[in-house]
Parts: sequence; structure tokens; C-alpha cells
Amino acid sequence: MSAAQGFRLRLRAQPDFRVDLSPLQPAALAGRDVGQVARLELRHANAHVELGELFDVDALSSEAPELRIEGDLRRFDRIGQGMDGGRLSVTGDVGDYLGAAMRSGDIVVEGRAGQLAACEMAGGRLEVRGDVGDFAAGALPGSMDGMRGGTLIVHGNAGVRFGDRMRRGTVLLLGDAGDFCASRMVAGTIALAGLVGAHCGYGMRRGTLVFAGPAPDVPATFGGTNHDIRVIWALLSRSLAGLHPVFQSLPGRAPRRVVGDLAADGKGEWLIAG
Amino acid sequence: MSAQAETTSGAGEQAVVRNGVTIDPTFAEAFPMKATRVLITAHNDTWARNAAVAMTGFATSVIACGCEAGIERMLAPNETPDGRPGAAVLLFSMSGKELAKQLERRVGQCVLTCPTTAVYAGLEDGEAVALGKNLRFFGDGWQISKMIDGKRYWRVPVMDGEFVAQETTAVVKAVGGGNLLLLARDTDAALAGAEAAVEAMRAVPGVIMPFPGGVVRSGSKVGSKYASLMASTNDAFCPALIPLAKKTELDAGTRCVMEIVIDGLTEADVSAAMRAGIEAIVARGGEAGVTRISAGNYGGKLGPFHFHLHKLLGAGAIV
Repeated sequence: MSAAQGFRLRLRAQPDFRVDLSPLQPAALAGRDVGQVARLELRHANAHVELGELFDVDALSSEAPELRIEGDLRRFDRIGQGMDGGRLSVTGDVGDYLGAAMRSGDIVVEGRAGQLAACEMAGGRLEVRGDVGDFAAGALPGSMDGMRGGTLIVHGNAGVRFGDRMRRGTVLLLGDAGDFCASRMVAGTIALAGLVGAHCGYGMRRGTLVFAGPAPDVPATFGGTNHDIRVIWALLSRSLAGLHPVFQSLPGRAPRRVVGDLAADGKGEWLIAG
Repeated sequence: MSAQAETTSGAGEQAVVRNGVTIDPTFAEAFPMKATRVLITAHNDTWARNAAVAMTGFATSVIACGCEAGIERMLAPNETPDGRPGAAVLLFSMSGKELAKQLERRVGQCVLTCPTTAVYAGLEDGEAVALGKNLRFFGDGWQISKMIDGKRYWRVPVMDGEFVAQETTAVVKAVGGGNLLLLARDTDAALAGAEAAVEAMRAVPGVIMPFPGGVVRSGSKVGSKYASLMASTNDAFCPALIPLAKKTELDAGTRCVMEIVIDGLTEADVSAAMRAGIEAIVARGGEAGVTRISAGNYGGKLGPFHFHLHKLLGAGAIV
């Protein structure tokens, strides 16, 4: 069998326990042949299983490193974790830790993602066409910093603590966010097209929330500023408009700005353009 | 002072005459410099220009100004990062370190202070030097960083709102000291010719003519009889010294000489600007009063960039 740059994996059977798919790195697998990929060992609960036992593997005629995974992958965690280059696409729902700590490359999921999607993501682009679970764009358990670079686009809704402790990067949420959105946010940008739950921006220190949809209830611990922000708004809104059509009208709007969370001596900002 | 010395002609070459203008068989000698471009935007064209003019003030020559700077061109709103009117400014210096120093001082004192302005990098590739990186400390802790599309901007609270500055700009290798000498029958003719040439050269991207109005009347040679001076008047081109100087390049009919010094981001930019200047003078014709075009050099021993006037003639469609 000849080496290939890309592979297609079609789920043949559901595993009995959760499977760690973090070894599936497009850049690392590029140049191998189908047999080598099929013999790749994956953690399956406290044992190992060969990839070929769960998936049918085909080579793709891609010129760049690429992986296409098809099937219901809700029992498969850590897809694209630590990914550093290449393209990974999934047709179906995925488990937890999708794109966690990824550094570069593109991930597209045509389905829903579990918890901790894009947590500590540092670069690249991650797009989820469905919903994401709790703690997306947040920090790994026990860690001080959440997402720290790259671009996350979620077409559906997000669970609680979306962007918790986020430090850098850009996040677009086209649906609604759960409670404690952007809690303890340190920096970065979250653009929201839908509603937010309770306690949005709780403990927010810096960073920017852009509300392109319904205007949120502003907490008592946030205060308004009325100065001219057209320069930074022009830079930011144009950038967001280029990322997704939902935000295309932002450059023509004049947002209201509030800052906080003053209860945490924070300097974060909400730009309310809805 | 400009840093040009005596003119050395090519061996055996003859001057050519185009439309009554004699073009000497000589070359302009130019030097490597470090350069950057910054984009200044403001609420309207007036305030963008105010900031750019202030920032490029006292920047005619590296001999005493630390850098040479000028407004490359004014920018329409659709050409700037924030959609406001702006100005593209070029700065040149002899070293990257000096350029960084001048940039920070000039942006800090002339752009940060100017109402409604923002400042951005005008070059993508090159060694990064601080633009807003250190100026942010004016914010006394209230400054905010914002990363947008991989570029970091600093937002410094000021009394009219906030000053937005990109963190760094890029420094590139550049070319300084391209020049043309316009020899004319009198002051009126010399000024009119120089103004026409500068106007044509300003249409060339990537160059500035750093002297007042783009023109310098005090062309200089290297050295002086006074040990403390590194440059002194270019006596070979001074009409007042025709009967006195040991060597003169002028005849009795030449009563006024003007020089145009060109700094450019690349050798090709300087060539294009010099060609545009020569074309403008030739198009006016010798009857307009500029009867001869020459250039300053150091005999070709000091600067690696030689802009031969006759080669420029050959490369362009000069009348």
C-alpha cells in the first residue's frame, strides 16, 4: 500500500467504552499508508484497541494532511487535541475535549460536541456546526487559563461557563449561551448572536464581549462609558464581519459600551450592538 | 544640508540633450538605510495631515535630525485599517536602532498628542520595532490590549476618547540619498522646475523627498575646512563661487541650482522617482529655464547604489 497525505475513517462499530482519539493527528499521519493507520493503537477505557477494529480506513487523494471521520463519535473524546496543522473534519457528533489545546490547523465538526470543546485552544480554527457542551473555550480542570488563541465558531448553542477564564483568541457563538458565559474572562473576544444565561461576565477581568443579537441585561457591577470608540469598533467589527455572515452588519452599527466586572476590579468590556 | 558631494562624470561619456535640457553623463550615489512606513488616521483629513506634518517635522537630513521623514501620500478612507482618512508616512534612518528611537519619539509627541488619531504599521514584512508597544504606558495601567486578526493593538485612554496604536511596525532595508541637481538660468525658473519635478515624483509610491517642499538649496559636500563640520557647502555648484572655487561645475549662464533628494523603500522606487523628475523637467523643456540636470555622487566609492542619469533616460519614455 502506498503512502497518503489524507485518510477517511468510517465508524464501523460503537466501542464498549470511551475511546481517546488524540493520536489521530492529520500532520502526524500524513505519509503513512492505510495499513499503518489501521494498526494505530487507541486508548479504550483502561485497554487499547487498534483503529482498524473500529473504523474502515481509506486513503484520500489530498495534497495536504487531512483526516475525514464519519459516524456517531459521541463516545470518542479528544478529537484533534493538541493538533498542530492539517485539516480534520467530522461528520457526526463528537465527545469531549474536541480541539483541546490545538495549536494550528482546521477542525470542522458537522454535529454537536461534548464538554470542554476548544478548552485551552491556542491556535488554528475550530468550527462546530451544532451545539457545544459546558466549559467550551474554557480551561482544563485545575488550570488557570482557558482558550489562549485561535478562532472558535459555534453555530449552535453553548452550555454553561462558555469562555470561562478565556485569555486570548476569538470566539463566535451563533446560538445562545448558558449561565456564567465569559466568567472570569482574562482577555480575548467573544461575539454572541443569541441570548446569554444568568451571570454573564461574572468576575470578568478584561476581554471583550460583543452582543450582536438581543441586548443582555447589564449587571449592576458593570458601568457605562460614553466615549468615542469608533476606531477600535471599526477594527473589531470588520474582523468579526469577515468571520461569519451573521456578524456582517456589525460595522454599520454603533454599540453601547459597558465595563466591568467592577466587583472584581475588572476592565472587561461589553459592546452591545443589538 | 544634503549629503551630496561633487559630481563625477562617466569616462568618455557625452552629455545628452532632450528638449533643450542637457542631462549630464553622471550618476547619483545613494546609501543603504533602514526605513518604515506608518499609517496615521484621524477623524478627518485635516487632523490626519496635522499629525503627519508634525511627525515629519525637522526630519530633512540624518546629518542632524536623526531621521529623514515625509508624507508619502494622503490616504482615502477605503485605504486605511479603520476606514477613516489618513496619511502614509515614511521614516528613514541610518540604523534600525536610531529609527526605532525616532519613531517612538515622533509618534509619542506628534501622533499620540494629536486629536482623534490612530497609528498603524504600514509594512507587513520586516523586523518588528515598537510602535504602540511602549507608548501604551502613557495609559498608566488603564491601557487595554486587543488582538484582532493576529495583530495586537493598544488602546490608551486619552481625553478625547482612546488612542489606538498597533503594537509594532516593520523595518526594512531601504535606499537613501538618490538625487537630482537642477541647474537653471534664475531663481524663478529653478523653483518652478523643482516644484514640477517634486509634484511628479510624489506620485511615485514608496519614496519621499524629505527637504522643505521636497527641495534643498544647500547641497553639501563631505568635509569642511573646519574640523568640527562633517559636511559643508557644495562649492562646485554654487553660482556665487564660479570665479573663486578651485573647481566649478557651472557656467556663467547658471545662476541658480536646486537639488531634490529622494529616499525610497527600494532601489527601484528611487529609480522610478528620479525618472519621473527628469521626465517632468524634460517635458517643460530647456526654454522653461532649467537647462541642465546633473546628480551628486562621491565618485562611486562610498554608496553601493548608483543611479546613472543616462540609464534612467534609457529605461523610461522620455521625450
